[in-house]
Order: sequence, then C-alpha cells, then structure tokens
Amino acid sequence: MRRTWFITAFVFALVAAACTGGDDGGGDGANGAGGGPVELILWHGFGTVQGEPDAEWQSLLDRVDEFNASHPDIHVTSIRCCTNDKALEKVTVALQGDEAPDITYQYGSSLAQLAAAPGLVDLTEWTQRPEVAWADFIPGATAAAVYEGKVLGVPALIDNLAVVYNVDMFEAAGLEPPSPDWTWDDFRAAAAALTDPATQTFGLAFPADASEDTVWHFDPMLWQAGGAILSEDGTQAAFDSEAGVRALETLRAMAVDDGSMYLDLQNAKITDLFNSGNAGMIITGPWDLSGLTDVTYGVQVLPGFDGDHQTIAGPDMWCVFDHGDVRREAALEFLTWYTAAEQIRTDTLATGHLPVRTSVLEEPGLTDELEASFPGVGVFAENVANVQQARPVTATYPQISVAMGEAIVAALLGEKTSQQALDDAAAEVNDILALPA
Amino acid sequence: MERVRRALTSDHAVGWAFVAPSVLLVVVFGLYPIVSGLMLSFQKASLLSPVREFAGLENYRAILGDDRLKQAAINTVYYTILFVPISIVGSLAIAVALNRGIAFIRAYRLAVFIPVVTSTIATGIMFLWLLDSHYGLANFVLGKAGLGPFGFFEDPRQAMPSLVGMTVWGWLGFDTIIYLAALQGIPQELTEASAVDGASQWGTFRSVTWPMLGPATLLLVVWSTLSALQLFDEVFFVTKGGPLGRTSVVVFYVYRLAFEQGLAIPLAGFAAAIAYILFLVILMLTLIQFWLGNRVVHYSS
Repeated sequence: MRRTWFITAFVFALVAAACTGGDDGGGDGANGAGGGPVELILWHGFGTVQGEPDAEWQSLLDRVDEFNASHPDIHVTSIRCCTNDKALEKVTVALQGDEAPDITYQYGSSLAQLAAAPGLVDLTEWTQRPEVAWADFIPGATAAAVYEGKVLGVPALIDNLAVVYNVDMFEAAGLEPPSPDWTWDDFRAAAAALTDPATQTFGLAFPADASEDTVWHFDPMLWQAGGAILSEDGTQAAFDSEAGVRALETLRAMAVDDGSMYLDLQNAKITDLFNSGNAGMIITGPWDLSGLTDVTYGVQVLPGFDGDHQTIAGPDMWCVFDHGDVRREAALEFLTWYTAAEQIRTDTLATGHLPVRTSVLEEPGLTDELEASFPGVGVFAENVANVQQARPVTATYPQISVAMGEAIVAALLGEKTSQQALDDAAAEVNDILALPA
Repeated sequence: MERVRRALTSDHAVGWAFVAPSVLLVVVFGLYPIVSGLMLSFQKASLLSPVREFAGLENYRAILGDDRLKQAAINTVYYTILFVPISIVGSLAIAVALNRGIAFIRAYRLAVFIPVVTSTIATGIMFLWLLDSHYGLANFVLGKAGLGPFGFFEDPRQAMPSLVGMTVWGWLGFDTIIYLAALQGIPQELTEASAVDGASQWGTFRSVTWPMLGPATLLLVVWSTLSALQLFDEVFFVTKGGPLGRTSVVVFYVYRLAFEQGLAIPLAGFAAAIAYILFLVILMLTLIQFWLGNRVVHYSS
C-alpha cells in the first residue's frame, strides 16, 4: 500500500517537472542591466560548403566578431536559424512562442507579410539619422524596404538578373558571345542555335514552377516592353497589356515553337543542367556563380526590347524586432555599423556580394577588383544601374504572384495562348484587388 | 477519508498515474491544436499577428466559392482512388510472393521495406531525375522498348499518376509487412485441408486465405485512405502542387494559405476551416468503412 502511494506520487512529480520549465520568453537576449553587455540575437540563413560556413557566412562571422571586439557594451550572437528560404516561416513560428530574434535576415518580398508581426520595428526615424546615410543605399533597394509609408528593413543584399552563358557552347555553335546591346530576337536565335535534340541540349533552362521565381524572370521583360504589373493606383492588373503579351510571347515561342527552352517545372535542376553542359544559357543572379564549377561561363546583361535593358533586383533585408528600448537601440547601433560603407566594402570583396551602397559601387576600380576575384560578378555590379523598378510591396502580392506564375507556365506548356493566359490571370488579380483590405 | 485513500491506491488510480505522462503528451500536442484550430476556423487571423477577429461561419461559407480548393479536393479524391486499390492489391501480391521459405527471403523482404524508411526528400529527388522527360532513366528504358517519351511530372495529365507511382513505391513495403504477418497467422491446417479437398491454388486463396485476411485488409484500406486523403510531403517536396495545380492536394493548399498567402492577408482561419472539413470527411469515411467492414469481415477467434 505504501509502495503504490510512493509510485503514484513519484510519477505525478515527474509529470509536473516535465510540464514546467523551458519557457524563457522574449528570446534569449539580455538587457545588459547589471553591468554585462547587451546581448543581441541575430538570425541568418547563409549556407555551407562541405559542412563549413561558406564565404557569406564567414564574412558575417568575421564582421560580428569585429563589432563585438570594438563595442564592448554590446554582444551580438549570430545563429544560423534555417535556410534563407525558410526565414519567414521560422520567424513566424518563433513569434508564436515569443522567441523572435533581435535582428533577422529576410527576403525583401517578405516585408509586406512581416509588417503584420507584432514587435517589428519601424525604422523610418532611424533612416533619418545622419550617420545612417540612407540616401547612399541603392535606390532599388530602399524602394523595396518601404511598406505603406514605413521603412521596415535595412538593405542587406542586392542582386539582379542577367544572362549566364556557356562560353564553349557558344563557340562550338559558331555564335558570337552576347553583346551588351543584344535583343530578345538575338537571344531567341542563340537559344535555337544551341539546341540539339540529339544530345538533349537546350539553349535555355528556365524556372517553370509557377512560383515567384518564374514571375520575376518575366517582370523585367514586361518592364522593358513598356508594361507594368499593376496600374498606377494599384487597383487593377496591368500586365495583360500589349507589352505583357510581347514579353510572354517571346518566352512561349522559345518553349513551344522552337523547343529551345528546358522547362524546369520543379525548379530544382537548372544549375545542374547548366553546370553539366546540357543548357547553354540561364537567366540568374550572382548567387549561382560559385556553383558553376564545371563549365567556363560568361555573364552579359539581359537582352533588351527597343534598347531597354532594365533588369530586376531582389533585395534582402535586415529586420529588427523590439525587445525593449535597450536591446532595440543596441540592434540599431549594430546595423548602423554593419551597413556603413567601410563594412559593406569589406563584405563585398570577401563574398562577391554586390555593394548595397552607391558610394561603394561607384568607387573607382571596385567592380574590376570584384571581377578579378569573382569572375562574372563585375557585370552584375554594373547591371545594378539597370535596376529601375521594383515589384509592388503589398499584402496581396503573394496571391498576385500565384496568378501570374500560373499564367506564364500555362503559356510555356502550350496550354494557353499568351493573351488568354494573361487575361485569365488579370481577371483573377482584379478580383483579389477588389476585396476589402 | 478511508474511501479517498482506497480510491487513490486502487489499481485504477495507479494505472492512470502510469499513463498520465503519455496522456498528457497526447492532450498537449494533440487535443490543444485541435481545439485551438477549431477556434481559429471561426476567426479571421494571420499566423504572424496576434489580432484575432471573430468571423462566425464566414470561413466555412467561403469554402464553397474557392476554385483552387475545388481543384485540390478533386485532385485529392483522384489520388485516393488510384492509390488505395493499387496499394492493397500490389502489397497483397508481394506479400504472397514473400510468404515462402526460399533462399534469401529475408533479403527480399528487407528490399521491399527499404523504400518505406528512405526519407521522402531523398525519394523525391531520385524520382524527379528518374522521371525527367529528357534526362530520366525511365524514358530511356521505355524508349528502348519502343514506348514514346512520357512527360511524367512535367505533363499536367501525367503528373498525378506519376505521383501515385512514386508514393506507392515508397509505401508499399508497409502494407506488405502487415499482409505478410496476417498471412503467416493463417493456420496451415486450413490451407492444407483445402488442398486435400481438391481445391486449386486460386480456389484455396479465394475461399480460405482471402477471408482470413479480412481484418488486415480492413485495417489497410482504412489506413491507406486516411494517409491518401492527407497527402502532403511528396507534393510539398517534389511537385509543389504543379504543373498548373494538377497535383495540389487539400493539405498542401491549406499549408499554402496559412504560411504563404495568408500572412499579410489573414487567411489562417480559412485554412483552419478547410482542415476541419477535411477532418470531418475523413472521420465519416472511416466510420463508414468500419461499419461496412465489420459486416463483411470474418474475425476468427
């Protein structure tokens, strides 16, 4: 009898112990009260190369160490929370448990969604501090940091789309390497010349999973042809215009009529195909270059419509979450230092990242130095000047993206004509935009 | 006081005390999300924001008007209709084949089970390349047999059957093991008696083996239907609902709504409502299956 009492009590005690404990709330930082440095948590999603931090991650670690050494009253701990693709999800989940970090690296496209998160710091006031030199950031990047009039992110990375081509394949096909003023007709002809059904070689490998990746390949072509995604007042779709059809037709003709485009419907094979010599060209950004180890590649700006070679950028952002005045101010101090011209310059040369500050970008000799250490990056750096427009930063954008993505893929698969596909998508987008906010 | 003491030290109380940790785990990780999901389905909410606006039955009413949801539901039913019969028949055939004492039988059984324990992502990547219409081994081999190149995951009409093929391959081993155990539980005297009575192999199977497999078959039909209706992993990792939404299934659509499209626009409540309807459908279907099954299945004591 006494034994069963004991066992019962013991089990209940175990259960009670298991249920309590383990909830510290408010993240793992500390306020610095009581003499210690202010503890900040920074989340990022940079990758590894064979198990070791890659150049981006290493550069971040070095910069953070430098900051911690020179600012003894603040200590930043950087944590790789996930891949950058999942950063928004990870923060969403963390917010549920009240464990968001102080600083987080996010895709610029996530800003409109993060805006709903409690505790996201409005950086508008901060951007006006003279030491921040907000006007020095690349305009395309700062434009993407603003949501409903508030600045919600600090540009962390800027990139853009250009064409990466296989030098040897061009030579073998008797083609001149692409010139900076090449047109989409030239592009289409080159792709056709590079295509060889016998060896399953394609002129172009294109992301066709109907995700935002598909859409942002289409956007610069739309803009070059004089079109726009939404109307001026943002209440109507505008991509089903003549310009939109012209852009989509070019792609559709390559996929369906010429058969020169490999459609990667799961968006998992493009880099592998290029790297193995099965695709002659890909439209991508500087992040892919380090993986192209098996081929000799060249980089050229996007082909143009009527001399317009504008491209698209996908800026990534640092966002700040509020964990009290002390930590917030410390986080802002860190970001002011981290995004200062000197640190941007060091990071650029260490990683091949395009500089997010105009002053650094226009420094004489910088693009040459970049090109020397990271072949191909020089063209991307110069292409930053071609970044003129940004995608809409709105709460409805994810749904607009789905509609446009499906339209593009429907045309590429030959299921719909370009006009029909864009019209259907525009109708869907107009319904979405008509819903009350 | 004496009654309290007796109650607390009875077998009853001790039993509960021992299962309390597991029960608590199930309650916390199972019941809590179920209840809070139900509450969410009556609200307009985003997972990023603590703001919760009461919306009554609006989410449930919106279910009927959503075209993409309709497509996802049709796809899910189509998938289930293909997956369940193929799984049951295929796994039974393989189990019968494995129910022998020939050499290396253990190796064959292991080989059948390996796909089940292989990670979904690894299987997915393998099938993506295997079934690639240009570079895949599948089209290469089929081409040698004179069969034209197939689009598989790249053709809107072939994507779902390809998905069925991939998932059947991945999960057949599980059903096979269950059937194998059931087959080995059939007393040999029964099958021998049937043979002695002059029945053919097929005759024995039909009148002795198959009825004895009733309970296992019922279990597997219920289980396979449940899993098929809740398909997510393979869609998320491999096809991402494409091409053009032809492999989008209900759970995948719910995920998209709650985590991708419904953060800035509050759609998490709508997603929860869909999940609840799916729950009710699965519950009803399972009850029907058990009711039908119990009338047909012969349970030997």
